[in-house]
Amino acid sequence: MSAEADDKKTALYGQHQSLGAKIIPFSGWLMPVSYEGVVAEHKKVRSDCGVFDVSHMGEISVRGPGAAAFLQHLTINDINRLTQPGMGQYTAMLNPAGGVIDDLIIYRLGDDDYLLCVNAANIQKDFNWIRENRPEGEVLITNESDFWSQIAVQGPNSARVLGSLLSAADRETFNHLEYMQIMPVEREGQRLWLARTGYTGEHGYELYLPDDLAVGVWQALLEGGAAPIGLGARDTLRLEACYLLYGNDMNDSVTPLEAGIGWVVRWDCGPFIGSGILQGQKADGAPRKMVAFTMIDKGIARQHMTVYAGEKPIGEVTSGSFLPSLNQAAGLALVENSSVKPGDTIGVDIRGKRKLAKVVKRPLYSAKVK
Amino acid sequence: MTYPANLKYSKDHEWVLIEGDKARIGITAYALEQLGDVVFLELPEEGDSFDAGVSFGTIESTKTVSDLYMPVSGKVTAVNNDIADDLEGLAASPYDKGWLITASIGSLPDDLMDAAGYESYIKEQE
Repeated sequence: MSAEADDKKTALYGQHQSLGAKIIPFSGWLMPVSYEGVVAEHKKVRSDCGVFDVSHMGEISVRGPGAAAFLQHLTINDINRLTQPGMGQYTAMLNPAGGVIDDLIIYRLGDDDYLLCVNAANIQKDFNWIRENRPEGEVLITNESDFWSQIAVQGPNSARVLGSLLSAADRETFNHLEYMQIMPVEREGQRLWLARTGYTGEHGYELYLPDDLAVGVWQALLEGGAAPIGLGARDTLRLEACYLLYGNDMNDSVTPLEAGIGWVVRWDCGPFIGSGILQGQKADGAPRKMVAFTMIDKGIARQHMTVYAGEKPIGEVTSGSFLPSLNQAAGLALVENSSVKPGDTIGVDIRGKRKLAKVVKRPLYSAKVK
Repeated sequence: MTYPANLKYSKDHEWVLIEGDKARIGITAYALEQLGDVVFLELPEEGDSFDAGVSFGTIESTKTVSDLYMPVSGKVTAVNNDIADDLEGLAASPYDKGWLITASIGSLPDDLMDAAGYESYIKEQE
Protein backbone atom coordinates (compact mmCIF):
# COMPACT_ATOMS: atom_id res chain seq x y z
CA MET A 1 0.00 0.00 0.00
CA SER A 2 1.43 3.34 -0.92
CA ALA A 3 0.29 6.67 0.39
CA GLU A 4 -1.44 8.87 -2.12
CA ALA A 5 -0.74 12.56 -2.29
CA ASP A 6 -4.36 13.42 -1.55
CA ASP A 7 -4.73 11.18 1.52
CA LYS A 8 -5.93 13.39 4.35
CA LYS A 9 -4.27 13.82 7.73
CA THR A 10 -6.20 14.08 10.97
CA ALA A 11 -5.45 16.82 13.49
CA LEU A 12 -3.51 14.14 15.43
CA TYR A 13 -1.25 13.04 12.58
CA GLY A 14 1.81 14.72 14.09
CA GLN A 15 1.12 12.96 17.40
CA HIS A 16 1.11 9.57 15.68
CA GLN A 17 4.37 10.37 13.92
CA SER A 18 6.11 11.40 17.11
CA LEU A 19 4.82 8.25 18.85
CA GLY A 20 6.47 6.19 16.11
CA ALA A 21 3.23 4.75 14.75
CA LYS A 22 3.13 2.61 11.64
CA ILE A 23 0.92 4.69 9.35
CA ILE A 24 -1.18 3.40 6.45
CA PRO A 25 -3.66 4.87 3.98
CA PHE A 26 -7.20 3.94 5.05
CA SER A 27 -10.41 5.19 3.44
CA GLY A 28 -8.63 8.25 2.07
CA TRP A 29 -6.83 9.04 5.34
CA LEU A 30 -3.34 8.44 6.66
CA MET A 31 -4.08 6.55 9.87
CA PRO A 32 -2.01 4.80 12.56
CA VAL A 33 -2.37 1.00 12.22
CA SER A 34 -0.21 0.24 15.26
CA TYR A 35 2.21 1.78 17.75
CA GLU A 36 3.60 -0.91 20.05
CA GLY A 37 2.07 -3.87 18.22
CA VAL A 38 -1.46 -5.10 17.57
CA VAL A 39 -1.51 -7.83 20.22
CA ALA A 40 -0.10 -5.65 23.02
CA GLU A 41 -2.46 -2.80 22.12
CA HIS A 42 -5.43 -5.16 22.01
CA LYS A 43 -4.64 -6.52 25.47
CA LYS A 44 -4.14 -3.02 26.86
CA VAL A 45 -7.70 -2.11 25.90
CA ARG A 46 -9.12 -5.32 27.40
CA SER A 47 -7.23 -4.87 30.67
CA ASP A 48 -6.72 -1.12 31.14
CA CYS A 49 -7.37 1.84 28.84
CA GLY A 50 -6.59 2.73 25.24
CA VAL A 51 -7.12 5.85 23.18
CA PHE A 52 -7.86 5.80 19.44
CA ASP A 53 -7.79 8.53 16.81
CA VAL A 54 -10.97 7.87 14.85
CA SER A 55 -11.19 11.32 13.28
CA HIS A 56 -11.62 9.74 9.87
CA MET A 57 -15.19 8.84 10.84
CA GLY A 58 -17.86 11.12 9.41
CA GLU A 59 -20.40 13.35 11.14
CA ILE A 60 -23.57 14.51 9.42
CA SER A 61 -25.98 16.86 11.15
CA VAL A 62 -29.73 16.64 10.54
CA ARG A 63 -31.68 19.50 12.10
CA GLY A 64 -35.09 21.13 11.92
CA PRO A 65 -38.73 20.46 12.78
CA GLY A 66 -38.93 17.63 10.24
CA ALA A 67 -35.72 15.91 11.35
CA ALA A 68 -37.23 13.09 13.43
CA ALA A 69 -39.84 12.17 10.84
CA PHE A 70 -37.20 12.23 8.11
CA LEU A 71 -34.79 10.00 10.05
CA GLN A 72 -37.64 7.60 10.82
CA HIS A 73 -38.17 7.25 7.05
CA LEU A 74 -34.42 6.96 6.37
CA THR A 75 -33.25 4.50 9.06
CA ILE A 76 -34.24 1.08 10.39
CA ASN A 77 -34.29 1.66 14.16
CA ASP A 78 -37.09 3.62 15.86
CA ILE A 79 -35.93 7.24 16.14
CA ASN A 80 -38.78 7.91 18.59
CA ARG A 81 -36.98 5.80 21.17
CA LEU A 82 -34.62 8.75 21.49
CA THR A 83 -37.23 10.37 23.73
CA GLN A 84 -35.02 13.24 24.84
CA PRO A 85 -31.76 15.00 23.94
CA GLY A 86 -28.72 13.06 25.13
CA MET A 87 -29.80 9.67 23.84
CA GLY A 88 -28.28 7.68 20.97
CA GLN A 89 -28.91 4.50 19.00
CA TYR A 90 -27.19 2.15 16.59
CA THR A 91 -29.03 1.95 13.28
CA ALA A 92 -28.58 1.64 9.51
CA MET A 93 -29.72 3.21 6.26
CA LEU A 94 -30.90 0.88 3.49
CA ASN A 95 -31.40 1.17 -0.23
CA PRO A 96 -34.83 0.22 -1.64
CA ALA A 97 -33.58 -3.37 -2.14
CA GLY A 98 -32.87 -3.65 1.59
CA GLY A 99 -29.07 -3.51 1.21
CA VAL A 100 -27.12 -1.59 3.82
CA ILE A 101 -25.91 1.81 2.60
CA ASP A 102 -24.21 2.36 5.94
CA ASP A 103 -24.47 1.48 9.60
CA LEU A 104 -24.30 4.43 11.93
CA ILE A 105 -25.03 5.86 15.34
CA ILE A 106 -27.58 8.65 15.67
CA TYR A 107 -27.37 10.94 18.69
CA ARG A 108 -30.12 13.34 19.64
CA LEU A 109 -28.26 16.48 20.67
CA GLY A 110 -31.28 18.79 20.97
CA ASP A 111 -35.04 18.67 20.42
CA ASP A 112 -34.74 18.83 16.63
CA ASP A 113 -30.99 18.32 16.38
CA TYR A 114 -29.48 14.94 15.46
CA LEU A 115 -25.88 13.97 14.80
CA LEU A 116 -25.20 10.97 12.55
CA CYS A 117 -21.83 9.26 13.02
CA VAL A 118 -21.03 7.39 9.78
CA ASN A 119 -18.19 5.31 8.35
CA ALA A 120 -15.26 7.16 6.82
CA ALA A 121 -15.44 5.38 3.47
CA ASN A 122 -19.14 6.23 3.13
CA ILE A 123 -19.27 9.91 4.06
CA GLN A 124 -19.95 11.26 0.58
CA LYS A 125 -22.23 8.37 -0.39
CA ASP A 126 -24.27 8.84 2.80
CA PHE A 127 -24.43 12.61 2.49
CA ASN A 128 -25.66 12.34 -1.11
CA TRP A 129 -28.24 9.69 -0.17
CA ILE A 130 -29.55 11.73 2.74
CA ARG A 131 -29.87 14.87 0.60
CA GLU A 132 -31.57 13.00 -2.26
CA ASN A 133 -34.22 11.71 0.14
CA ARG A 134 -34.81 14.82 2.22
CA PRO A 135 -38.26 16.34 2.46
CA GLU A 136 -38.92 19.88 1.26
CA GLY A 137 -37.75 22.67 3.49
CA GLU A 138 -38.10 21.16 6.98
CA VAL A 139 -34.62 19.81 7.60
CA LEU A 140 -31.12 21.20 7.38
CA ILE A 141 -28.51 18.60 6.42
CA THR A 142 -24.84 19.47 6.97
CA ASN A 143 -21.73 17.40 6.41
CA GLU A 144 -19.69 18.38 9.47
CA SER A 145 -17.01 15.71 8.97
CA ASP A 146 -14.23 18.22 8.35
CA PHE A 147 -15.09 20.10 11.53
CA TRP A 148 -14.99 17.25 14.05
CA SER A 149 -12.07 15.25 15.32
CA GLN A 150 -13.02 12.02 17.04
CA ILE A 151 -11.18 10.25 19.86
CA ALA A 152 -12.28 6.95 21.38
CA VAL A 153 -11.34 6.08 24.98
CA GLN A 154 -11.90 2.41 25.66
CA GLY A 155 -11.22 -0.13 28.39
CA PRO A 156 -12.12 -0.97 32.01
CA ASN A 157 -10.21 2.09 33.25
CA SER A 158 -11.62 4.50 30.66
CA ALA A 159 -14.06 6.15 33.08
CA ARG A 160 -11.23 7.02 35.48
CA VAL A 161 -8.85 8.27 32.77
CA LEU A 162 -11.44 10.36 30.94
CA GLY A 163 -13.27 11.48 34.09
CA SER A 164 -10.11 13.07 35.48
CA LEU A 165 -10.09 15.52 32.55
CA LEU A 166 -13.55 16.87 33.27
CA SER A 167 -14.74 19.75 35.41
CA ALA A 168 -16.49 18.80 38.66
CA ALA A 169 -19.87 19.74 37.20
CA ASP A 170 -19.34 17.73 34.01
CA ARG A 171 -18.00 14.78 36.00
CA GLU A 172 -21.25 14.56 37.97
CA THR A 173 -23.19 14.07 34.71
CA PHE A 174 -20.44 11.83 33.33
CA ASN A 175 -20.61 9.47 36.31
CA HIS A 176 -24.29 8.81 35.55
CA LEU A 177 -23.96 8.61 31.78
CA GLU A 178 -25.51 5.37 30.54
CA TYR A 179 -24.56 3.24 27.56
CA MET A 180 -25.41 5.02 24.27
CA GLN A 181 -26.00 8.38 25.97
CA ILE A 182 -24.20 11.58 24.98
CA MET A 183 -23.43 14.78 26.93
CA PRO A 184 -21.94 18.17 26.10
CA VAL A 185 -18.64 19.06 27.78
CA GLU A 186 -17.01 22.50 28.02
CA ARG A 187 -13.27 22.78 27.43
CA GLU A 188 -11.31 25.96 26.75
CA GLY A 189 -14.55 27.80 26.06
CA GLN A 190 -15.59 25.35 23.37
CA ARG A 191 -18.18 22.61 23.31
CA LEU A 192 -17.34 19.02 22.65
CA TRP A 193 -19.59 15.97 22.84
CA LEU A 194 -18.91 12.91 24.94
CA ALA A 195 -20.76 9.67 24.20
CA ARG A 196 -20.64 6.43 26.12
CA THR A 197 -20.16 3.98 23.30
CA GLY A 198 -17.41 2.28 21.37
CA TYR A 199 -16.27 -0.41 18.98
CA THR A 200 -14.23 -2.68 21.24
CA GLY A 201 -16.65 -4.55 23.51
CA GLU A 202 -15.27 -2.74 26.56
CA HIS A 203 -16.68 0.04 28.69
CA GLY A 204 -15.74 3.19 26.83
CA TYR A 205 -16.40 6.58 25.36
CA GLU A 206 -16.15 8.49 22.10
CA LEU A 207 -15.42 12.19 21.99
CA TYR A 208 -16.49 14.51 19.19
CA LEU A 209 -14.34 17.59 19.41
CA PRO A 210 -13.34 20.59 17.30
CA ASP A 211 -10.01 19.95 15.55
CA ASP A 212 -8.12 22.55 17.59
CA LEU A 213 -8.93 20.75 20.87
CA ALA A 214 -7.81 17.35 19.61
CA VAL A 215 -4.09 17.52 20.41
CA GLY A 216 -4.60 18.82 23.95
CA VAL A 217 -7.20 16.17 24.82
CA TRP A 218 -5.13 13.39 23.20
CA GLN A 219 -2.05 14.33 25.20
CA ALA A 220 -4.02 14.66 28.44
CA LEU A 221 -5.47 11.17 27.94
CA LEU A 222 -1.99 9.69 27.37
CA GLU A 223 -0.70 11.49 30.47
CA GLY A 224 -3.67 10.06 32.36
CA GLY A 225 -2.47 6.54 31.61
CA ALA A 226 -4.17 5.59 28.33
CA ALA A 227 -2.07 3.88 25.66
CA PRO A 228 -2.40 4.87 21.99
CA ILE A 229 -4.15 2.14 19.97
CA GLY A 230 -4.08 1.78 16.20
CA LEU A 231 -6.60 0.58 13.65
CA GLY A 232 -5.11 -2.94 13.73
CA ALA A 233 -6.19 -3.57 17.31
CA ARG A 234 -9.44 -1.69 16.70
CA ASP A 235 -10.22 -4.36 14.11
CA THR A 236 -9.33 -7.36 16.31
CA LEU A 237 -11.22 -5.85 19.26
CA ARG A 238 -14.39 -5.25 17.26
CA LEU A 239 -14.21 -8.66 15.62
CA GLU A 240 -14.02 -10.43 18.99
CA ALA A 241 -17.12 -8.51 20.05
CA CYS A 242 -18.67 -9.43 16.64
CA TYR A 243 -19.33 -5.79 15.81
CA LEU A 244 -19.70 -5.54 12.06
CA LEU A 245 -17.32 -3.66 9.79
CA TYR A 246 -18.93 -1.98 6.82
CA GLY A 247 -17.20 -3.01 3.60
CA ASN A 248 -16.21 -6.37 5.11
CA ASP A 249 -19.27 -7.85 6.79
CA MET A 250 -21.91 -5.88 4.93
CA ASN A 251 -22.35 -3.70 1.90
CA ASP A 252 -25.05 -2.43 -0.42
CA SER A 253 -26.15 -5.97 -1.29
CA VAL A 254 -26.38 -7.40 2.25
CA THR A 255 -29.54 -6.83 4.30
CA PRO A 256 -29.52 -6.20 8.08
CA LEU A 257 -31.21 -9.57 8.64
CA GLU A 258 -28.45 -11.33 6.72
CA ALA A 259 -25.78 -9.35 8.57
CA GLY A 260 -27.22 -10.37 11.92
CA ILE A 261 -28.41 -6.96 13.06
CA GLY A 262 -32.10 -7.79 12.81
CA TRP A 263 -32.41 -6.77 16.48
CA VAL A 264 -31.98 -3.15 15.35
CA VAL A 265 -34.95 -3.25 12.97
CA ARG A 266 -38.24 -1.74 14.14
CA TRP A 267 -41.06 -3.90 12.81
CA ASP A 268 -44.21 -2.11 13.92
CA CYS A 269 -43.56 1.65 13.84
CA GLY A 270 -44.15 2.42 10.19
CA PRO A 271 -42.29 1.85 6.94
CA PHE A 272 -38.79 3.01 6.09
CA ILE A 273 -36.68 2.80 2.96
CA GLY A 274 -36.11 -0.92 2.35
CA SER A 275 -38.66 -2.13 4.92
CA GLY A 276 -40.75 -4.07 2.37
CA ILE A 277 -37.82 -6.34 1.52
CA LEU A 278 -37.08 -6.90 5.19
CA GLN A 279 -40.70 -7.84 5.94
CA GLY A 280 -40.46 -10.44 3.19
CA GLN A 281 -37.19 -11.82 4.54
CA LYS A 282 -38.62 -11.92 8.05
CA ALA A 283 -41.58 -13.98 6.82
CA ASP A 284 -39.74 -16.29 4.43
CA GLY A 285 -36.20 -16.28 5.82
CA ALA A 286 -33.27 -14.29 4.46
CA PRO A 287 -31.13 -16.00 1.80
CA ARG A 288 -27.99 -15.76 3.92
CA LYS A 289 -26.94 -15.33 7.53
CA MET A 290 -23.87 -14.23 9.44
CA VAL A 291 -22.13 -16.85 11.56
CA ALA A 292 -19.10 -16.67 13.80
CA PHE A 293 -16.48 -19.40 13.65
CA THR A 294 -13.29 -20.43 15.39
CA MET A 295 -10.55 -22.35 13.58
CA ILE A 296 -10.04 -26.01 14.48
CA ASP A 297 -7.09 -26.54 12.14
CA LYS A 298 -4.10 -24.26 12.17
CA GLY A 299 -4.34 -21.29 9.85
CA ILE A 300 -6.15 -17.99 9.67
CA ALA A 301 -9.27 -17.58 7.58
CA ARG A 302 -9.31 -14.19 5.86
CA GLN A 303 -11.92 -12.07 4.09
CA HIS A 304 -13.35 -13.56 0.83
CA MET A 305 -12.12 -17.12 1.49
CA THR A 306 -14.77 -19.68 0.48
CA VAL A 307 -16.65 -21.54 3.22
CA TYR A 308 -17.84 -25.15 2.74
CA ALA A 309 -20.33 -27.44 4.45
CA GLY A 310 -18.94 -30.81 3.45
CA GLU A 311 -18.10 -30.39 -0.24
CA LYS A 312 -20.70 -27.70 -0.86
CA PRO A 313 -19.64 -24.05 -0.99
CA ILE A 314 -22.06 -22.13 1.23
CA GLY A 315 -20.57 -18.64 1.40
CA GLU A 316 -17.46 -16.71 2.30
CA VAL A 317 -15.50 -15.29 5.19
CA THR A 318 -16.27 -11.59 5.68
CA SER A 319 -13.78 -10.92 8.48
CA GLY A 320 -11.06 -13.18 9.85
CA SER A 321 -8.00 -12.71 11.97
CA PHE A 322 -6.00 -14.03 14.85
CA LEU A 323 -7.89 -12.78 17.91
CA PRO A 324 -5.64 -12.02 20.89
CA SER A 325 -8.13 -12.39 23.77
CA LEU A 326 -9.34 -15.72 22.39
CA ASN A 327 -5.73 -16.61 21.57
CA GLN A 328 -6.93 -18.27 18.38
CA ALA A 329 -7.93 -17.53 14.83
CA ALA A 330 -11.62 -16.83 14.27
CA GLY A 331 -13.97 -14.71 12.23
CA LEU A 332 -17.34 -14.05 10.66
CA ALA A 333 -18.77 -15.65 7.55
CA LEU A 334 -21.83 -14.89 5.44
CA VAL A 335 -23.36 -18.26 4.49
CA GLU A 336 -26.55 -19.76 3.07
CA ASN A 337 -29.21 -19.41 5.72
CA SER A 338 -30.16 -23.04 6.32
CA SER A 339 -26.67 -24.46 5.81
CA VAL A 340 -25.03 -24.58 9.23
CA LYS A 341 -25.66 -23.84 12.91
CA PRO A 342 -23.50 -23.41 16.01
CA GLY A 343 -21.61 -26.61 16.76
CA ASP A 344 -21.30 -27.62 13.10
CA THR A 345 -17.93 -28.02 11.41
CA ILE A 346 -17.23 -26.01 8.28
CA GLY A 347 -14.32 -25.97 5.85
CA VAL A 348 -12.48 -22.83 4.78
CA ASP A 349 -10.37 -22.75 1.64
CA ILE A 350 -7.12 -21.15 2.82
CA ARG A 351 -4.93 -20.69 -0.23
CA GLY A 352 -6.00 -23.96 -1.81
CA LYS A 353 -6.09 -26.05 1.35
CA ARG A 354 -9.28 -27.00 3.13
CA LYS A 355 -9.00 -26.12 6.83
CA LEU A 356 -11.63 -27.02 9.41
CA ALA A 357 -13.43 -24.51 11.59
CA LYS A 358 -16.31 -24.69 14.04
CA VAL A 359 -19.43 -22.55 13.88
CA VAL A 360 -19.97 -20.89 17.27
CA LYS A 361 -22.53 -18.60 18.82
CA ARG A 362 -21.92 -14.88 18.52
CA PRO A 363 -20.27 -12.97 20.04
CA LEU A 364 -16.79 -14.45 20.24
CA TYR A 365 -16.10 -12.19 23.25
CA SER A 366 -18.87 -11.02 25.58
CA ALA A 367 -19.06 -7.23 25.57
CA LYS A 368 -18.69 -5.41 28.87
CA VAL A 369 -20.18 -2.15 27.68
CA LYS A 370 -23.21 -1.80 29.97
CA MET B 1 19.43 -3.38 13.43
CA THR B 2 22.55 -5.40 12.68
CA TYR B 3 22.72 -8.52 10.55
CA PRO B 4 24.99 -11.48 11.32
CA ALA B 5 28.04 -11.48 9.06
CA ASN B 6 28.14 -15.26 8.69
CA LEU B 7 24.78 -15.34 6.84
CA LYS B 8 23.70 -14.66 3.27
CA TYR B 9 20.48 -12.78 2.55
CA SER B 10 17.86 -12.86 -0.19
CA LYS B 11 15.86 -9.95 -1.59
CA ASP B 12 12.78 -11.64 -0.13
CA HIS B 13 14.25 -11.15 3.37
CA GLU B 14 15.22 -14.72 4.10
CA TRP B 15 18.62 -15.51 5.57
CA VAL B 16 20.65 -18.61 4.82
CA LEU B 17 23.56 -20.15 6.66
CA ILE B 18 25.61 -22.13 4.16
CA GLU B 19 27.79 -24.98 5.42
CA GLY B 20 29.10 -27.01 2.50
CA ASP B 21 26.04 -28.40 0.70
CA LYS B 22 23.76 -27.78 3.69
CA ALA B 23 21.68 -24.67 4.25
CA ARG B 24 19.90 -23.45 7.34
CA ILE B 25 17.15 -20.96 6.47
CA GLY B 26 15.16 -18.34 8.35
CA ILE B 27 13.56 -14.91 8.08
CA THR B 28 15.32 -11.65 8.91
CA ALA B 29 14.59 -9.36 11.86
CA TYR B 30 13.79 -6.62 9.34
CA ALA B 31 11.03 -8.74 7.78
CA LEU B 32 9.64 -9.63 11.20
CA GLU B 33 9.54 -5.98 12.17
CA GLN B 34 7.68 -5.11 8.97
CA LEU B 35 5.14 -7.87 9.57
CA GLY B 36 4.33 -6.88 13.15
CA ASP B 37 2.97 -9.50 15.54
CA VAL B 38 3.43 -12.90 13.92
CA VAL B 39 0.53 -15.19 14.81
CA PHE B 40 0.89 -18.15 12.46
CA LEU B 41 3.67 -19.95 10.66
CA GLU B 42 3.12 -22.66 8.07
CA LEU B 43 6.20 -24.71 7.23
CA PRO B 44 6.81 -27.45 4.63
CA GLU B 45 7.33 -31.16 5.27
CA GLU B 46 10.68 -32.82 5.45
CA GLY B 47 11.51 -34.18 1.98
CA ASP B 48 9.72 -31.42 0.05
CA SER B 49 11.82 -29.89 -2.74
CA PHE B 50 11.72 -26.29 -3.87
CA ASP B 51 13.37 -24.12 -6.50
CA ALA B 52 15.01 -20.91 -5.38
CA GLY B 53 12.53 -18.05 -5.15
CA VAL B 54 9.54 -20.38 -4.69
CA SER B 55 7.25 -20.22 -1.64
CA PHE B 56 8.08 -22.90 0.92
CA GLY B 57 5.62 -21.68 3.56
CA THR B 58 3.65 -18.74 4.86
CA ILE B 59 3.98 -16.36 7.76
CA GLU B 60 0.98 -14.45 9.04
CA SER B 61 0.77 -11.40 11.23
CA THR B 62 -2.44 -10.06 12.72
CA LYS B 63 -3.13 -8.17 9.52
CA THR B 64 -1.32 -9.80 6.60
CA VAL B 65 -0.09 -13.08 5.23
CA SER B 66 3.26 -13.31 3.44
CA ASP B 67 5.01 -16.10 1.62
CA LEU B 68 8.35 -17.46 2.74
CA TYR B 69 10.62 -17.80 -0.29
CA MET B 70 13.44 -20.30 -0.70
CA PRO B 71 16.75 -18.44 -0.86
CA VAL B 72 18.37 -21.50 -2.49
CA SER B 73 17.03 -24.48 -4.40
CA GLY B 74 17.02 -27.76 -2.55
CA LYS B 75 15.31 -30.48 -0.56
CA VAL B 76 14.06 -29.89 2.99
CA THR B 77 16.01 -32.03 5.47
CA ALA B 78 14.60 -30.71 8.75
CA VAL B 79 11.72 -28.46 9.86
CA ASN B 80 11.71 -26.44 13.07
CA ASN B 81 8.15 -27.24 14.07
CA ASP B 82 8.87 -26.13 17.64
CA ILE B 83 9.20 -22.52 16.52
CA ALA B 84 5.75 -22.64 14.86
CA ASP B 85 4.38 -23.10 18.39
CA ASP B 86 6.70 -20.45 19.88
CA LEU B 87 6.28 -17.38 17.72
CA GLU B 88 7.60 -15.09 20.43
CA GLY B 89 10.78 -17.15 20.27
CA LEU B 90 10.94 -16.47 16.54
CA ALA B 91 10.71 -12.72 17.11
CA ALA B 92 13.25 -12.83 19.94
CA SER B 93 15.81 -14.98 18.15
CA PRO B 94 15.30 -14.96 14.37
CA TYR B 95 18.83 -16.13 13.48
CA ASP B 96 19.33 -18.79 16.11
CA LYS B 97 16.40 -20.42 17.88
CA GLY B 98 14.13 -19.09 15.12
CA TRP B 99 15.56 -21.03 12.18
CA LEU B 100 12.76 -22.42 9.98
CA ILE B 101 14.15 -25.25 7.87
CA THR B 102 17.38 -26.89 6.81
CA ALA B 103 17.88 -28.03 3.23
CA SER B 104 20.39 -29.87 1.10
CA ILE B 105 21.44 -27.30 -1.47
CA GLY B 106 20.68 -28.02 -5.12
CA SER B 107 21.99 -24.73 -6.41
CA LEU B 108 22.80 -21.29 -5.07
CA PRO B 109 21.36 -18.25 -6.82
CA ASP B 110 23.96 -15.60 -7.62
CA ASP B 111 22.00 -12.68 -6.16
CA LEU B 112 22.35 -13.60 -2.48
CA MET B 113 23.78 -10.68 -0.51
CA ASP B 114 26.19 -10.46 2.38
CA ALA B 115 25.21 -8.56 5.53
CA ALA B 116 26.50 -5.19 4.27
CA GLY B 117 24.78 -5.70 0.91
CA TYR B 118 21.50 -6.60 2.62
CA GLU B 119 21.69 -3.56 4.88
CA SER B 120 22.07 -1.21 1.92
CA TYR B 121 19.31 -3.11 0.06
CA ILE B 122 16.95 -2.39 2.97
CA LYS B 123 17.91 1.28 2.97
CA GLU B 124 17.00 1.45 -0.73
CA GLN B 125 13.59 -0.07 0.08
CA GLU B 126 12.76 2.58 2.66
